[in-house]
Formats: sequence, C-alpha cells, structure tokens
Amino acid sequence: MSAPSCLRCLVRPSAGVTVSSLPRSSPLAVARAAPFSTTTANLRPKKEVQTGGAPKGHVRSGKMLQLGKFKKGKAGDRGRTPAPGERKAYRKRITLSNDNAIPVPWLTDLGPADLANPANTARIMALPTEVQDQLRASEAFKPTQCWGMFRKPAVLVRKETIDMANRMQNAADKRHTLRLVVSGDKLTGKSLMVLQAMAHAHLNNWVVIHIPEVQELTTACTEYAPIPNTDPVQYMQPVYVLKLLQAIRRANEGVLSKILTVSAHPELSQSMPPNTPLLALAGAAKEPDAAWPVFQALWSELTAQGANRPPILLSADGLAHMMKVSDYRSPAFDLIHSHDLALVRLFADALGGGLRLPSGGAVIAATTRSNAPRTPSMELALAQREAEANKGLGGPSSSGAVEVPQRDPFFRGYDDRVEAVLRSVQVLRVRGVDKLEARALMEYWAASGMLRATVDEKAVTEKWALSGGGVPGEMERAALLTARI
Amino acid sequence: MASSTRQGLTSALRGVTRTLNGKRPPLPKQRLQTLRLSGGSRCLSTESITPAKAIDIQGLAERYRIAEHARAVPVSASYFSRTPIFNDRYLALDKLARSYTNLPVVPPADAEPVVWKNLSDLRRSIGEQVKATDYADCLAIVRRLHQIHPDLKPDIVKEALDDFKRDVQGFLNRPVPIPIDKFGRALGVGKRKSSTARAFVVEGDGQVLVNGKTLVDYFGRVHDRESAVWALHATDRLDKYNVWARVEGGGTTGQAEALTLAIAKALIAHEPALKPALRKAGCVTRDPRRVERKKHGRVKARKGPTWVKR
Repeated sequence: MSAPSCLRCLVRPSAGVTVSSLPRSSPLAVARAAPFSTTTANLRPKKEVQTGGAPKGHVRSGKMLQLGKFKKGKAGDRGRTPAPGERKAYRKRITLSNDNAIPVPWLTDLGPADLANPANTARIMALPTEVQDQLRASEAFKPTQCWGMFRKPAVLVRKETIDMANRMQNAADKRHTLRLVVSGDKLTGKSLMVLQAMAHAHLNNWVVIHIPEVQELTTACTEYAPIPNTDPVQYMQPVYVLKLLQAIRRANEGVLSKILTVSAHPELSQSMPPNTPLLALAGAAKEPDAAWPVFQALWSELTAQGANRPPILLSADGLAHMMKVSDYRSPAFDLIHSHDLALVRLFADALGGGLRLPSGGAVIAATTRSNAPRTPSMELALAQREAEANKGLGGPSSSGAVEVPQRDPFFRGYDDRVEAVLRSVQVLRVRGVDKLEARALMEYWAASGMLRATVDEKAVTEKWALSGGGVPGEMERAALLTARI
Repeated sequence: MASSTRQGLTSALRGVTRTLNGKRPPLPKQRLQTLRLSGGSRCLSTESITPAKAIDIQGLAERYRIAEHARAVPVSASYFSRTPIFNDRYLALDKLARSYTNLPVVPPADAEPVVWKNLSDLRRSIGEQVKATDYADCLAIVRRLHQIHPDLKPDIVKEALDDFKRDVQGFLNRPVPIPIDKFGRALGVGKRKSSTARAFVVEGDGQVLVNGKTLVDYFGRVHDRESAVWALHATDRLDKYNVWARVEGGGTTGQAEALTLAIAKALIAHEPALKPALRKAGCVTRDPRRVERKKHGRVKARKGPTWVKR
C-alpha cells in the first residue's frame, strides 16, 4: 500500500498550502498536516492563486539556469547612494583626535619658545587647542598624516625643527627675512616641518599666510583673469584668493584684530578709513571679484613701512608646482609661466628676496616627492645651494670633495626665472630621525595604545632599520599602519 | 685425435691450469723484439725464430694428476643459489661480524655518516635479483660492522664495507666556508625564483643599502623590507651589522627573499653558531620552486581553456 502523501515531496500535505493548489487525486492529504517542511518558499500562502489572478513570474522560477548575461536587474536595495562630493569629503576629512586612544599623561602643550629650545630635542609635544584651530583654518593638516590615531595632535621636536625655529627667531629679531626651502626624501616630514614653523609663528603672534597645495594654483583648476594695467600681463585667481583671505582671517584672527590700518584704500569698494582693524579689511571681500584688490590692500598694510607690524610667515607646500610653466593659457593660447600668476609671483618674489618684509619674518616652502612635476632648474638650484652650504661648513662629511653641481650644457629645459628665485635661498634637508627621536616617537605611540609592543632598544632598532634609517613616515607604516596584533 | 685429448685434459685440469701457466706468455712487444732485424738488411727473415717446444700434455697429466676421475666443481657453494655473488658477500660479512664481535663500537650517531646502497642500487651493481629481506638482513650486519670503533676497525672490514657504499657520498660534500676579508666583509649569495642577490655583511649599526638605495626606496612593500632583513631580524642582529647588497633579476618578492638567503649566509660566516637559529627562521635552505612551465592545451601551466558550448 502506498503512503497517503508523496514521500518525495514533504510539502504537499502541509497546512500552509491551500486546497486549490493540491492535486485532486489525494483527498486524504488535506487532513494530514506535516509537522515541518524543508522548503519554506512554497509554504507561503499564494494569494494570487486564490483570487484567481494569473501567477507572476515563470512557472519554473528558481529552477532555471540563469546565465550572467540574462540576469535581471540587481536584486536588493543598496541603500542611499552618496551625494555628489560626499565621497571626496570623506576621503579628505581631517580627524584630529581619537577618543579611543589613551591620553598620554606626560604630554605637554607647546609654549612660544619650546620649538626653539634645544632642551626639547626628541620630545613629543602637543599642539595647544587654539593653535590647532589656526592650523586647521589654514589647512596645515593633511589627510595622509596620522593625526586621527591619537588623543590630541602632537609633534616630535627634531633637531631640524630646533634649527629652523632658531633661524626664524633670529630673522624676526633682526627684522630680516628667512628664505628657506625644506627638501628631503619621501615621507621624511617636510610638510610637518612647515606645520611646525606655522605653529611656532602662531605661538609667537606672527601673521601666517599658508598655501596648502601650490598645485591648486598652477594646474588650471581655479579661475583666473588678467589684471588690468600690468605689463607683462599678470593674472589673478579671484576664487582662490577669496578662499585664502578667509583662511587668513580665521587663522590670524587674534593678531589681525589688534593691527590697525595706516592708510585709506580708495580702490576698494567699501570705505576703509585708517585705524580700522586689519581683520575687517580681510573680511571686506565677500565676492571673488573683490578678492584680489582686498588681498593687495591687506598685503600692503601688513608690509607697511614704519608701522609696527608683526613678523610674517609665508609658507607653501609643493614648491615644484610653483617653479614650472603653469597649465593656464593666455588669450594668445600661450602657456603662462607660474610666476606671471600674481599670487605665485608674490610668493616667489618673497622667496627670492625681491620683496622685503619690513618687520621681518620667514618664507618657507617645502618640496614634495610624491606629486611633483619634474623641475630641473629647481632640482639643480637646490643641489647647488646645498653644496655651497656644505662647502661653507667644511665638516668632516664634506671635506673638500664637495662639488657644486653645474648646468648640463646639453639640456635645454632649464628655467632662468626659477634659478633667479632660488639663487640665494637656504636649504634645509630633512632626513630620517635618529634613534633617540625614533624611540621618543615609538614611546609616544605605545603610550597612546597604538603600538602594542614593548619599546626597547631592539624594537626601536628594528623599526628604524626597516624604515630606511628612521624615515618617520615609513616608521609609521611599519609600526602603526600594518594591522598586526 | 690429439686435439681431442688435449681439450679433454685441459678441461680436466681446469683447477690447476693457473699454476701451470705461472709463466705468462710473452707480450707482443717482447715477441716483436725477438724478430731481430738483421743489420742493414731491409728484409725480415724467419730463420732466427725457433719454434717453442711442444707441450708434453701426457707428462703433465701424469705429474699433476689429482684424481682418477676429475670433474668440474664450482669454487663457491653459492654457485647453485639464485644470487651467488650476493650470497658470497653476505657470508663473508657474516663471518667478519662473528669474528670481530668483541671489538668496541661507537654509538650510531658518532659513526662516520655513510650513504649505503639501497636495494635497487645493490641489484644493479651485482646484477642479481636480491631479495628485499636478504638485503635488509645484510645491511643490518653492514651497519653493525660500520659501528666498530674507527681506530680499531680492521682493513678487511673496511674493504668489505666499501662494496656496500654508494658511489656518490653526499656527506663528503663540504661547503666552502665563506671567508671574511680584510675589511671585515662576508659575501653571501642567495637565490629565489629568478633573482640573485649578493650581500656584503659587515659589522655596523643597521644600515642597509640595496643596489645603492635604502631599503625603503628599493622595496615599496613593508613585507618585502621585512623579508629582506629577516635573517638579521630573526637573530636580533639588526643593529649589529650593515648590509650592502646587489640584487638582479626577478620581481620584488623574489629579490627580497633572495636577499634573505644571501644575508643569512654571510651572517653565518660571521657567527657560525647562528646556523640553527637561522634554519629555524627558514633562512638557510634555498627554495627550489620556479615558475612551472606552460603546457600545450592549457592557457597557463594548469589553467584550462574556457568552456565553449560549440
């Protein structure tokens, strides 16, 4: 005798399946409800069948071979797609603190004289909150740096830092201008040197004007317009200058509010009587059209002769982009040299020494290695300056063998304007940190809970050697950014 | 008739022919000398050659008679076994083992390492189908004899054991020790995949230069950097030595791992006691794997072509 229900299909005599869907041949099966079923899909009550409507989909849906070519549209809701620019904003966001990191008890805030004090060599010191805000306003922090791993932003005071801060301080004391190019290998901390210079300047109430990425000025990604009555024609970049003015305003709020204008600026649309705070002047530009005149007025006020002005720090990152022919075109469709862009020209003049800062200050530019066009003139000039400096030192490492490199006579890609600018700059070469500084770094990482290893001589040497002689960025990669727990 | 009797006699006297022919026949050279050239004449005469005396077979047979009815008997009783040569050796070894059983022995680990012939080697060298069990028993005796203290081992035992040694003795291959030159450098050479690395290792403070660049500049991946200096890292010598290396061929991974081997070898030249530690770290043995060759009918070495319906 056969079983009342089909043994091959446990579904049939289940309660969920309606009577109409069952075959007529098994009337007994209706009464016997199976306690469980292995297939849930067929257990769903089929309402369409009851209402008599046509069944949706194919009769053999789920049993047919589906090749990739004939697949239906992607199933499932993928959620909200990111709005335009959201992904980039996420990529470029800067996080300066990590609440999960352990606060480091011995971390002290930077004071005005700390970066110039040789006793602080190989110490980690935190940036004070107001300086953080100022640096953030002028975009000194970069998304590639590891700020977001620690409780609060802190920097390592290196020998080069002390050297640079002392040079800045000397220049300010003597009302000279320090003209410095920070160069070095990849990930050696060139941008961090600029950041430390800016921090030093902010702590000592300088006015800081920072160009975070020079490539934004010269790769033809921002608007430009010829400045009337200039010969040769110069170009202003109103949108960028407006952004820069706002950054200057936010970063130097305290200093600028105390400085008063000495002259009226009739060329501005707004009336600026003398003895107006410079902060108001900097805020006078609301539209890109007014930005360049306002910037000129601000610059003339900052460099006014006779008035008691604070020292100025002009800093930029990515010098190579400034030392090439830009991607902009003149009306005659000729390429415009970067030094014909007014803002770049101002910086280049200051770096070359053509523009004096009456109350002293510093012009500091950092080169980049990862994103830099090839600029033979700049490379040659920097190598020359470095060789000359070594010759002057006459140290044991440079005993007599130092040859100042010369132009290759068979190469015609040199740029005289670039070499003129870099004829008398100082070059600060940043190299890997020494073992003492490496140890300080690693101890700080360990104290923050980011490095889960005992920091001893062995560990320090290992990371130091793996990072090619203490290149700090590579040490970070080897110690912090590799997920090895 | 005479020839038939001579043959029969010779066969009968096979046992004693060796003594009979104690005096060897003259060499062809000597024979030529006997053909003296007559002075000045250009022709050769046969008059000077006197024929040898006829051998008195009958007399010899009378003198050296052994038995009334002589028959050929094999020298060894093993003649009738399937493996006579092996049998003889086995018996000889057994006899030796019994006679020298009282000599002092050294522990097996202290005996001179020797590669013995395996079963197939032995079969091939003797030309007999030796049984595996016989071979195993024989080799046990060989090993026992080999354990006899080398200072007291009789020469006859050594000769008997030589038959069982394989022709190529791998244990005799001694690597040439790497010298440390007058500048304190040791040059190690390492290979991996198709890369070759030469590393000069000198005492120092942990600086590494690969093809004139720092480790960071040469190897973009952190993993490659770590594997390049793994030999130093695994032995805690990263801050004790400097490395100047030249690497050629292959890709980054191969170059990094070739460097591992090169640095390890040079490090062993400086500190031979580190060899076990380095072996444990996997820095001593050369990885012999290479790219597998492509086969016909396949897209790569093993990848099959895409299935097409028609």
